[in-house]
Amino acid sequence: MGTVVESATVIVRSILLALIAVASAGHTSETAGDRAALVTEGEKWWTRSPDPRDPVACVTCHYGRDETRGWAASFPKFRPLPPPEGRVMTLLQANAEALRRHYGLDDPEQPAVAITAYLISRGIGVPVSPGIVAGQPTFESRLRALGESVGRGEKLFARRCDSCHAPSAVARTAFHFPRASAGVVESLERFLGRHRSERSPLGWDGQPTADIIAFLMSTLAGQPVGDVPARWP
Amino acid sequence: MLNAIRSVSLALCLLAAPLGAEAATVITGLVRSQGGQPLPGLALLEKGEIHNNRWDRGALVDAGGRFRIELAEGGQYGLHVYASGYLYKPNAVKVETGKTLEVKIELVPEPTRANDPVIKRVEFVPPESGKGRMRITMDVFDPNGDLGPQVLAFNAATGRAFAMAPPSWVWSLKSNYPNGVYQLDVDPSDRRDWHFTVADHKCNTADILGFPHQPTPAQVIKP
Repeated sequence: MGTVVESATVIVRSILLALIAVASAGHTSETAGDRAALVTEGEKWWTRSPDPRDPVACVTCHYGRDETRGWAASFPKFRPLPPPEGRVMTLLQANAEALRRHYGLDDPEQPAVAITAYLISRGIGVPVSPGIVAGQPTFESRLRALGESVGRGEKLFARRCDSCHAPSAVARTAFHFPRASAGVVESLERFLGRHRSERSPLGWDGQPTADIIAFLMSTLAGQPVGDVPARWP
Repeated sequence: MLNAIRSVSLALCLLAAPLGAEAATVITGLVRSQGGQPLPGLALLEKGEIHNNRWDRGALVDAGGRFRIELAEGGQYGLHVYASGYLYKPNAVKVETGKTLEVKIELVPEPTRANDPVIKRVEFVPPESGKGRMRITMDVFDPNGDLGPQVLAFNAATGRAFAMAPPSWVWSLKSNYPNGVYQLDVDPSDRRDWHFTVADHKCNTADILGFPHQPTPAQVIKP
């Protein structure tokens, strides 16, 4: 009798998991057009300041295509903001911080998401190397901060995600983000924040979110940016 | 006699050798525009992590766009390069003790000068009794109110760079710094050695002000 109940439970769990997988897959059904539009939007923000009185845009200083090509692969990393603000950030968080400062945007999330998509598109194929940009010096203190972030992220992942997802499987989907579907744009940071909503939500721009992503990306080191399977695990 | 001379020569060589063997720790650089034109200006260093506002050494960048900064020790530094009419450029660098780091810096002209901080006036106040410290004051104005902590003074004779103290309390290094009179107390020195610049949080940069410290209207440089 016990065996029958256990078997039934397993079947029900399998059906639920399948339904969740189908639902999740539906959620990620972005088209190439959606993604391309997001990248185009990001390029627009990258190359044009929203303030005609202050025409300095991201590209004004970061004009070298080789310079920006390695950025997506190098995040999360320690961003050396004036102390005590310096911390490990994701690419999206760093973009948002820069937009707040340089473009004076109070709510930089959506433009930052678009720029993140643009920079990821620029970095397709570059091996993932959190904290390290080819040709740039590495600093022990920054790598130490990143290592601590990865450690915190691993613990957070174990508490929040591990019961359903293997880290390597989740990590491989990271470059699906930011994703755009039917006009709705979502970053990995925002997705992690709302996933498992019964738990305390994580803010898209907070340190815990950066820590989880730092942990996930650490499992991808050496793999090329964008080389991901086409479905959620 | 010949042996004695040889011995003395050898002793002198041995004495000189350890001094020569201690290689200096140096950052040298070449500063150019995107078009390859050499740019004179200032190269200033923060010691440690970049943007920590702990200013250390510096050098004038000559007309050929070259600079050389000798350091007491290797380590991590924030290198900031300034040229009048150009957005300043921050670079985090790492120098190994006893080695020379060579960097190439390319600066981008500011498309407008309307957003730049302005140095209105610099004054040197000698110590009252003829002894003690000299006070340097600099009246600074930023049209957008987003001045950063880079209100900087550099003494070319000593190679020292300084952040000047703001006129009122500031919450953090990320805060918008106030307009007004900044000050710096230093040992008495020749005012001809002093150079100044100011940058806001968006990298807009005032023209470098050297002796005789008379500000002139900022010009837009065509790329």
